[in-house]
Amino acid sequence: MTGSNFWGSVEGWIAIAGLAIGTFLIRYSFIGLFAGKRLPPLVERGLQLAVPAIFAAIVLPLIVMQQGQTDFVARAPHLAAACITALFAWWRGGMLAPILAGMGTLYALQYLLR
Amino acid sequence: MSDALHTDVAASARDALVSGARQCVVLTPSYIPFGLVCGVAAVQAGLGELGAIALAAFAFAGSSQAVLTQFLTTGAPLVIAVASGLVVNLRMAVYSAAISQRIGKAPRRERILWAAFLVDQTFLFEEQRHAKRAFAMHPLAFFLGCAAVLWPTWIATNAAGALLGAQLPPSWQLEFTIPLSFVAMVVPLLKTRAHIVAALAGGIAGVALFAMPLKLGLIGACVLGTCFGLLVDTWFKASTQPQKGSEKRE
Repeated sequence: MTGSNFWGSVEGWIAIAGLAIGTFLIRYSFIGLFAGKRLPPLVERGLQLAVPAIFAAIVLPLIVMQQGQTDFVARAPHLAAACITALFAWWRGGMLAPILAGMGTLYALQYLLR
Repeated sequence: MSDALHTDVAASARDALVSGARQCVVLTPSYIPFGLVCGVAAVQAGLGELGAIALAAFAFAGSSQAVLTQFLTTGAPLVIAVASGLVVNLRMAVYSAAISQRIGKAPRRERILWAAFLVDQTFLFEEQRHAKRAFAMHPLAFFLGCAAVLWPTWIATNAAGALLGAQLPPSWQLEFTIPLSFVAMVVPLLKTRAHIVAALAGGIAGVALFAMPLKLGLIGACVLGTCFGLLVDTWFKASTQPQKGSEKRE
């Protein structure tokens, strides 16, 4: 799906509609669809735990993998950058400072290891 | 912030709305980097500038937008991309359940408004207000005040990323800000041992199952991580049952 134009593609709009409608239904679930019902505690806990699980499953390959292969040498700057971002996020929270610190680390290490 | 929480208690709906809006203004700078990244990523995924803006307006859920566009960029099938985005948003079912406990028999129009703008930040503010005083007046007006600030801000930052992103040089590797933003998002969520185990197991499984077709490894990794987290949860809870009980009584 490359070759972007201002209006996008049909597939793109299907994806947008799918995410928008699906997300609304999740938000509306207990407020409207199953109003008055409660989540079983195990399900509620599972839903909370699924969030860090899927984030980590998305993030770790993006950090340590290159062209489908795990490569700790080539990706060392990226891994270090992610660790610095995690440290900043744990220390102060927020978005901007952790991302800037991580990108700074990435640029510095890539420059030094050139 | 706490001043505003106290002063809006007995106020009119209009005051509650203004109070919500005022409290959320301080959050708007934090939207800028992630909104920009999401806008850039949506255009790179082929959604077009208009699609990028529509995605921000109608989904109004940054992390799922970034997940969706990430998957579309790597050529994953549409269904898997949308499903992965929705998995990230499943946490909102928990918010939905919490809100539904306290809106009682509100008419459908109000329920739809609650659902339409139920995002992490608006929920968090509503929670804090509710925690301070369970019967704070005009919760919907307060909630819509938050939304009136945050929703346009989100659309504007996405639009800026979509329209300006193409002019940024590739050597800046801006695409790497997406995993970094996910890291920054997930770290504050790691509140318990179970959360940390879920993240570790999910991450390792994500790498190990990366080669699975149709990006199904991601769903598998999510399920595995959740199960490991639940296991730790039950095991840990079982070993600290008495303390848990005394906590509840407080």
